[in-house]
Amino acid sequence: MTKHLTRRGDGALIEMTSEEIMAALEAGSEDAADKGKIAPLSKEDLECLLDIFIDTNKVVSVEQGEEVVVTHDIGTLRLMGDQGNSGVGIPLGRVQGIQVHERALCADTMELGHIDYSFKPVKPVIAMEQQEMENALLSTVIPLFYGAMPNLGTYYSPDGPFGNPSDLLPAGKVKEAYEAQEGAVEHATRDMVYVGEKLAQVGCDGINFDTTGAAGDPDFKATLNAVEFLKKNTDLSVQVGMAGEFVLGMHGGLEYDGQRLAGLYCHDQVKLVEKAGADIFGPVVNTKPSKDMPWNLSRAVTFVKACVEVSNIPIHVNMGMGVGGSPIFETPPIDSVCRASKAMVQIAKVDGL
Amino acid sequence: MDKAEYMKKAMQCVVDADEDAVEKLAHDYLDDGFDPIEMIEQGLSQGIRKLGDLFDRGEVFLPHLIIASEAMTKAVKILEKALPEDQVGKKLAKVVLGTIEGDVHDIGKGILVTMLRVYGFEVFDLGRDVPIAKFVEKAKEVDADVVGSSALMTTTMVGQKALEQALKEAGIRDNLTTMLGGAATTEHWAAKIGANFWAESAGDTVIKLKEIFS
Repeated sequence: MTKHLTRRGDGALIEMTSEEIMAALEAGSEDAADKGKIAPLSKEDLECLLDIFIDTNKVVSVEQGEEVVVTHDIGTLRLMGDQGNSGVGIPLGRVQGIQVHERALCADTMELGHIDYSFKPVKPVIAMEQQEMENALLSTVIPLFYGAMPNLGTYYSPDGPFGNPSDLLPAGKVKEAYEAQEGAVEHATRDMVYVGEKLAQVGCDGINFDTTGAAGDPDFKATLNAVEFLKKNTDLSVQVGMAGEFVLGMHGGLEYDGQRLAGLYCHDQVKLVEKAGADIFGPVVNTKPSKDMPWNLSRAVTFVKACVEVSNIPIHVNMGMGVGGSPIFETPPIDSVCRASKAMVQIAKVDGL
Repeated sequence: MDKAEYMKKAMQCVVDADEDAVEKLAHDYLDDGFDPIEMIEQGLSQGIRKLGDLFDRGEVFLPHLIIASEAMTKAVKILEKALPEDQVGKKLAKVVLGTIEGDVHDIGKGILVTMLRVYGFEVFDLGRDVPIAKFVEKAKEVDADVVGSSALMTTTMVGQKALEQALKEAGIRDNLTTMLGGAATTEHWAAKIGANFWAESAGDTVIKLKEIFS
């Protein structure tokens, strides 16, 4: 029986028969359907996925005319960062990094990001960020975002003024944990609005709230609050990218527009992001390293397809290390990244990667 | 109320995180002369297990899990008072847990700490970003049965390999069960570095440890 080379979720090369791949595809899609309470992929979609996996070419792509927008988060640091940051260690300045992505790598949009990549530490250096953004805008033509993470972790001890819910909750201090998270929401919203307004002043095209929800539902709430304010008060385009496939309930009771945030999967997240006024949504589906790639990709495509179907704004799915069906590996192998990307475009019908 | 109904209600009280109700239920159950162990194992534990499943599915959240585990702990204390002395406070095993050096992602580890305590393990939680030497030191100090580490990043999981080596060098590895978890890890990684087992989630860890120590 013919065996096809594919990957495990941790990047290891494995061999599977067509039957084994199809069984994994069905199981992955069913898992997403069960968790997200959404429809599994159709037989046609699963067959299309199987074709992608058994294609003997190392690199696969979409048909001409089906190309989508490609952008990069934290791209200015991608080239200079080391392997720990999924980078390649080339000493380039941030503006040069943007120029390389625009002129050599054909990115359709790019973003400027600070090395800490969180909104809070950008505040004290905002003047420098404004100047760098201005320099980048004057030497490029593609739309430029400013990207950072809401990262509510920076507002909890030992880095911030509030008690850390990760310490308070195990100690049974639930009320204190609630108060800390609610306080952090206010501070983070204020800081994100401050940074956004300052960047809007120098002509920045947009803001990318990256890795939203990393610290759970307060993280998502603060982001939605900031998006709402910035869309009403500036001309910034806003992209919201998630941290994980569902919003972790660190608080559990926080709501936006009457909807509880904890536990939402991407097809529900996007509706709130839309309500807040954002222009682009970046869903995330996590990769399980112990499962094979057909299982992971089928699961990811099922979630993202449901998200695309209900969304009224463009969906730019997060693809890369450990998300979107790609393995958890510092630099995910090209055979897996291109297969995952093709599946997201052709089956999930995303607008961008 | 018959015993089956007590079990059903005990399970539901834990799922609902209803501290007052579960405490009253434990008192009533004892007053009716039933076996305290049965309520712990077939009522309360079933409740926390169901809650664990709901948590894994994103249908209940961390604060709820914490409140429910506290409610269960209080009920267990009431029931334990009716047990013979030699059965009270008996722990299944001593578990030293921590998030590996360089890694501060400890939400999952915190959930595991809670669940292991509820299931009768004695847990020594070292926290996050724990130096390898501290794992070894604590394991020696408490004469641990299990040492567990979590790693959420591919760049920190190498610390789990160093931990295995450090336990060997300290001469205590053969007396221990080592386990590992965290988003970046796999059962293949556990096998490769010589850990005893890998667990996918807090619930999976509890099941695997209970198989070994019950």
